Amino acid sequence: MTDDRRGLALGLHLGVLALLGALQLVLPPFHHGMVARVMVLAAYAVGYNVLLGYTGLMSLGHAMFFAAGMYGTGLTIQHWGFGAGAGFLAGIVAGLAVAAAVGLVTLRTAGPAFLIVTMMLAQAFNLATLYFNDVTGGDQGFILSGLGLDLFGVRLAFADPAVKYNAALVVFAACLLLSFWLTGSPAGRVLLALKENEERTRLLGYNTVRCRLFAVVVSGLLSAVAGSTYTLLFSYVGSTFGGILYSIYPLLWTLLGGAGTTLGPLVGTLVMTYFVDVASAITTGYLIVVGAALIVMVLWAPAGIVGGIRVRWAPWLP
Amino acid sequence: MGALVLALTALGLSLVFGVMRIVNVAHGEFFMLGAIVAWYVSTLTGSFLLALLVAPVAVAGVAVLADRFVLRRIGYEPESTIVATIGLLYILQQTVLTTYGPYARPVEAPVYFRVDFPWFGYSGYKLVVAGVAAVLLLVTWMALSRTTLGLQMRATQQDREMAQAFAVPVGRVYTVVFGVGAGLAAAAGALIVPVQQAHYLMGLDALLMSFVVVILGGLGSLRGTLVAAFVVGLSDGAISVLFSPTLAKIVATLLVALVLAVRGRGLFGEELA
Amino acid sequence: MTPLLETRALSKRFGGLEAVSAVDFSLDRGEVRALIGPNGAGKTTLVSLISGRLGPTSGRVLFAGRDITGLGPWDRANLGIVYTFQITSIYRSLSVFDNVALAAQRRRLRRLADWVALDRAAVAADVEAALDTAGLGGLRDQQAGALAYGHQRALEVAMAMALKPELLILDEPTQGLAPEDIEALCRLVRDLARVATVLLIEHNMEVVLELASRVTVMDAGRIIAEGTPREIEAHPEVQRAYLGR
Repeated sequence: MTDDRRGLALGLHLGVLALLGALQLVLPPFHHGMVARVMVLAAYAVGYNVLLGYTGLMSLGHAMFFAAGMYGTGLTIQHWGFGAGAGFLAGIVAGLAVAAAVGLVTLRTAGPAFLIVTMMLAQAFNLATLYFNDVTGGDQGFILSGLGLDLFGVRLAFADPAVKYNAALVVFAACLLLSFWLTGSPAGRVLLALKENEERTRLLGYNTVRCRLFAVVVSGLLSAVAGSTYTLLFSYVGSTFGGILYSIYPLLWTLLGGAGTTLGPLVGTLVMTYFVDVASAITTGYLIVVGAALIVMVLWAPAGIVGGIRVRWAPWLP
Repeated sequence: MGALVLALTALGLSLVFGVMRIVNVAHGEFFMLGAIVAWYVSTLTGSFLLALLVAPVAVAGVAVLADRFVLRRIGYEPESTIVATIGLLYILQQTVLTTYGPYARPVEAPVYFRVDFPWFGYSGYKLVVAGVAAVLLLVTWMALSRTTLGLQMRATQQDREMAQAFAVPVGRVYTVVFGVGAGLAAAAGALIVPVQQAHYLMGLDALLMSFVVVILGGLGSLRGTLVAAFVVGLSDGAISVLFSPTLAKIVATLLVALVLAVRGRGLFGEELA
Repeated sequence: MTPLLETRALSKRFGGLEAVSAVDFSLDRGEVRALIGPNGAGKTTLVSLISGRLGPTSGRVLFAGRDITGLGPWDRANLGIVYTFQITSIYRSLSVFDNVALAAQRRRLRRLADWVALDRAAVAADVEAALDTAGLGGLRDQQAGALAYGHQRALEVAMAMALKPELLILDEPTQGLAPEDIEALCRLVRDLARVATVLLIEHNMEVVLELASRVTVMDAGRIIAEGTPREIEAHPEVQRAYLGR
């Protein structure tokens, strides 16, 4: 891609972030809280997209990375009295450890085998959090309270909606810009190459085993960052977030927004979260919209929203 | 889940895996749907036998529709198919939730007797379940090895292009296999209702355990599926009783993940029957 | 002088078939060597063993005197052994520029830190140079999959050039090309031969005679003859096994 188009794309990303920042001034309280949640979950989808969109690996077990961040943060705060900052770091370390282990175990698998192995590993992880329910709180989970950060002598309490919103924005912005940087970097180019033709990439001199491991770790890391942030901002830890639904959500968000586009995960998460919210007011079986969306996309919109825009109007979108 | 019922469910998954080379994530929901349909039919008509007959046929019908209107249209492309079957999973599960409700409801066992051995007793219905499951397995095996359709399935599994060249109607074979696979799961689900109750979330466990069996037993191998179902069914039971059901599931899923991770790409490689 | 490449008793078995059997092969720096033989003679298997796409059943591969039998294909590529595929193997969904950049950036990514601070301008310059040499100068922003077949082959060679190979292995580069494209490709290979040693699998005898300084003939997994193109043409066993005269 030429440099001026890259600049245009960067401008667009910064514009989207600025828009998200400005929105908090006009949103009514309910939507203010919704968008804060969407940004954290979108960070999760950005992590998922690194693997699906840019490396071509479809996982059905990402909830274990999200949950690793969540438990890494929640448990250390709950049981060891960590502060928010230390708890955040602990979540990242836990996410890195789980991602590295999963990356190593799945090195030799591809396609459906990768999908099933990640699903099984995530299931084992989720069951383990239920099994050790005296530590994790199992299904019920546990609630944290009084979380916040002291920044330059100012106490920022995460319970305060404005703090919550801006913390979510900062984390999302970091994940989005990292993924944007990755798409223009030599590593991103190699991941795309890996997605299209692994053997060719090997013969160009790339250790594809290490590249794949890198992709799994980065993807798992971003997911864990999202999980940890979710715990801090919404003060809750529970095994639901490690269940199969939370592995399917990022897949859905990413596909809906457009796999392999940097802005797709945000768009997909935003649209789907609102869909699910509206549906849940109408019926108990509101997850039917998840199923319907998946099938509609597979049949009529495989490129997703941003992907479709890229194909039709804006080929320069990263 | 009894070993034979597990074998029946897993065989359905294995057939679809083996012949169509697709991962059907909605397989557990066919099992669940079988149980729900059996509950409706036996509650409305009072005949469990009728329920046992209707459930597999009705569920196979649903599967055929899904194949025609979704899977065929995306050309069975592996990743799209996975996404589509995840979609199907939620559509079936949530439809049952809104119509049948979030309840766990049993059906009365059609037979009452206990077989008493000197050291333990055994409910008669469980023996009936095992018997029916064994018969169904045998019938499937016969159909695969003795009929033209079975031959066509095996040919398609071996080499799709070659089968097409020999005038095997691959499209129809796919539809039939998807229907039969779902029907087997539904039969298993219907059989289990008197023992386990029907509930809209019962599909996930069935799906995971079927994956475990199919992967340990080797894809598309009937004998392997049977052996693995017994090993998994019995050890699952033993660990559940001695330690906890959760631990048993953790062990099974981890084991399967490791087996698959080591075997790597050889997921689609074994022979049928 | 140590040969650039040497194989010692190199063998590869596929089940019951010995595709390459105890081959001792050696290649000097600066040569353009053609490897010929009937289909199934083991030519592609031999070069796959050299490039590391396949691991041998037994035997060793030496590159510039160093035993590289245990090295992965990526390590061999980084040593300068570059393989271009028989079947066009470009990244169809990426741009022409990105295809070549994947090759060009590799040499500049030696240390971990290079991945973060890559000299983009230098990579771009390398890419432009390779594209110009391959006659693809105006096509850098095209999607590779949309190129005409002849241009796709040229792109494949441009990727190889951008890797700055010591040893360039070309697996049937002229296959399926129109006569005028074959001529262009021959010119390209001659240019390349000034800076790299070339090992060429080729069926087109005219191309072999025009390019090769020496020719090696394989049949049934073994080397049956080796010599200058003229000697090979006259070799009775070669005529029987391969040229069909």
